[in-house]
Amino acid sequence: MSLKKFSELFDDLDSINSTNNKIEVLKNYFLSNDPIDNSWAIYLLTGKSNKRFISGRYLKNLFSQIYEYPQWLIDTCYLKVGDSAEVITLLLKNKTNFRKKELSNISLNELLSEKIPALSKLNEEEKNIEIKNLWETLPEDNHLIFNKILTGTFRVGVSIGLITKSISKLFNIEEEIISHRLMGDFKPSIDSYKFLINKNINLQELNSKPFPFLLANTIEDKIFKKSINDFQFEWKYDGIRMQLIKRSGNVSLWTRGQELVNESFPELVEKMSHIKDDFVLDGELLVWNFKEEIAFDFSLLQKRINRKSPTRSIQIKYPIIFIAYDLLEINGRDIREIKLENRRIELEQYFSKWQIKTENNISDIFKICDLIFPKDWPDALTYKDKSRENNTEGLIIKKKTSIYSSGRKKGIWWKYKVDPMQLDAVLIYAKGGSGRRAGLYTDYSFALWKDKELIKFASAYSGLTNIEIKELDKWIRKNTIEKFGPVRSLKPEMVFEISFEKIQISKRHKSGIAVRFPRITKWRKDKKINDANSLENAYELMKKIS
Amino acid sequence: MRTKQEYLIRYKDGNLYCELADIWIDPRKPVKKALITHAHFDHFTFGCEEYISTKETAILLKDRVGDNIKIKTFEYGEKFKINGINISFHPSGHILGSSQIRFIFAEEKWLISGDFKLQKDQTCKQYEIVKTDYLISECTFGLPIFKWDESSKIANDISKWITNSPEKTSLLFCYSLGKAQRLLKEISQTNFKGNIYSHSSIHKMNNSYRELGIDIKDTIKIENKKKIDEFKGSLILLPPSLSKGSYLKNFKNIQTAFASGWMSIRALRKRSGYDKGFAISDHADWDGILEVVKKSEAKNVFFHHGDSEALSKYLVEKESINVLFFGKKI
Repeated sequence: MSLKKFSELFDDLDSINSTNNKIEVLKNYFLSNDPIDNSWAIYLLTGKSNKRFISGRYLKNLFSQIYEYPQWLIDTCYLKVGDSAEVITLLLKNKTNFRKKELSNISLNELLSEKIPALSKLNEEEKNIEIKNLWETLPEDNHLIFNKILTGTFRVGVSIGLITKSISKLFNIEEEIISHRLMGDFKPSIDSYKFLINKNINLQELNSKPFPFLLANTIEDKIFKKSINDFQFEWKYDGIRMQLIKRSGNVSLWTRGQELVNESFPELVEKMSHIKDDFVLDGELLVWNFKEEIAFDFSLLQKRINRKSPTRSIQIKYPIIFIAYDLLEINGRDIREIKLENRRIELEQYFSKWQIKTENNISDIFKICDLIFPKDWPDALTYKDKSRENNTEGLIIKKKTSIYSSGRKKGIWWKYKVDPMQLDAVLIYAKGGSGRRAGLYTDYSFALWKDKELIKFASAYSGLTNIEIKELDKWIRKNTIEKFGPVRSLKPEMVFEISFEKIQISKRHKSGIAVRFPRITKWRKDKKINDANSLENAYELMKKIS
Repeated sequence: MRTKQEYLIRYKDGNLYCELADIWIDPRKPVKKALITHAHFDHFTFGCEEYISTKETAILLKDRVGDNIKIKTFEYGEKFKINGINISFHPSGHILGSSQIRFIFAEEKWLISGDFKLQKDQTCKQYEIVKTDYLISECTFGLPIFKWDESSKIANDISKWITNSPEKTSLLFCYSLGKAQRLLKEISQTNFKGNIYSHSSIHKMNNSYRELGIDIKDTIKIENKKKIDEFKGSLILLPPSLSKGSYLKNFKNIQTAFASGWMSIRALRKRSGYDKGFAISDHADWDGILEVVKKSEAKNVFFHHGDSEALSKYLVEKESINVLFFGKKI
């Protein structure tokens, strides 16, 4: 009924660790609220909305201006709290004497479909007045939710799977159906909620929506005991996982993040619309090097992702390809329940038919993934080790008899990634973290030797345990040489093993190299700084790989 | 302006020290004479030849560490002289017996705030405003993001937290001395009427409080042999040191919470490892510190125990108060 209820739900979900209890709390919430508010709650909880109405910086400036608070003081508080929306919420607590109570019963719907969208229609001055007005009229308990929605930072520890499960249990509808109905662009409305909980299942209604994606698990040793013939092997491409759907003549392209990206890749949509059959394909979108038949680096794909309606020259400069892994539906027939090996046969048959029968040549933008056929497990290992040569991340191993279920289902699909590259480096800078790492020094920069000098080569923030983070934080505070704003330069003393996925020449970095996904894999307390690697070692590593 | 050496009270080896009286305040190393502001262990060290404190602090200390220490006691407001310096204790509102300490020498007044809070606490005397020239104040929560709710509101939240999960055992972690008794008093005035158990370290302090005339509810001391099922729906007060490790195996189907001022920040709450955090503190919040600074009418202020950078800058810029480090002006 009210925003207040949703704030309570947020608090509860935030402080409950048990999955079962979270489901109970969600069920109770859905039972006791209007369909429209439920619809908005689902929209927020599933992370469908991350639209930013104003930035965190704007929020802080506005507060500073209205309540005559020095900007530096808000910034200092931010270092402790790590979240703009929360800082302002805590500071607003000091302002209770300004409060007028008018909106104590505002509904989630009213806030999200009226109050907040209305802000975008105002000029800056009017907008500021309105935000101030909302701060002073919304009940204090709702400030955090309000500020988080405003800044597009609403997040809470529940997965889509958990929401799906709660609704499924509450209304006694299969999880798969709920999950499917939640795919794509769920627009909050009474109708979308009624559709979601409708016990009558009409597959036509799900027409434009992708199926829930099946995801691979990290490889487990037990698989090596099984017969290699039970599995299908594919390269693990480093692109964007997608479902390419053509139903009733319309092509739609959905990412795993459930975004419709037709506008970014119009050439693919155009070409695929010439195919006569209807289908749902699971696959990967890549920027493709047609000469060498391998994928280009992910960074080239990034040039296409966020660009809507790319020009012809962009399309030529960054040529894309869709590589199909799997066929999920063909001419209205859902074949997810048949075995992978049989789906593969259908995929191959349809692919060759399409190649011959389609008016326009489709092979310059669409292909099916090549399979790999290792003789035995050691041979599979050799393939995996070679995967860097063709710009893939390793292997995907799929049980031939598996059906296409949803989520990270155990025991049917595995990813077998290439071992990361590693160097031992010296910690030289630290910066305060944000979010749940606020108030601790958790963003680190690492250096390698060049002659007698330490040159920064990578920054990393993940990989240490909470205990190690606290220990290191203490050390950092004691061993600071200089502070520049939030950054501290440190006494070179600590050595860490840094792992990364890729290493390449970079003119932008002082070290001359850039690494991808650097992370800490070990705190080498056993090593002195003289034992750390040099830039020369890094160049050798690069040579060895290319 | 006087130099650091000429201040009546200064920092020496990381402790507050008054050279003229040759007396230390809450020293962390054994010295000849030590003034003790309150009975928390981070303000006390063994091995001093003589301790001086309020009567309540002395009793609490002896209950905690044994009778084997020599303590001289004074009432709140009672003046005593050491080497010509007038010294007196004044209520600081932190815990039972806690005090601010005032020094007067040759017309110059100094005040050491000790740990303090302005919020109402039914288990100890309210903070007393004391006028001074020099103020040495703690600033544990010296940022405006800290603003405490009424303790009765927190107690109601705790009561709701317990009664909403009647099938669970609710473990509330809090400091054994002061916080536990304050919570006990507040919680017994809420709708929660179930059993309250406490760990022996807390139980002992409850008894000490009662002997000192503080009316708090009797709790059940936890015995190891107790049947696990008896705890269902009850509240159990435990010291934070037991939150990690095997002790929790004595209970089943638990929910945990920590009562501390730091719990007002979500990141700290999440990182703490407790299911829930209740933001209640025996230290002053930002407004509390500002109020004390202003009402004390101090011309010069020093801060310790906490990150004082922002608070100092704010006082200098906004309130034109002279904030000093021990030795130099900012």
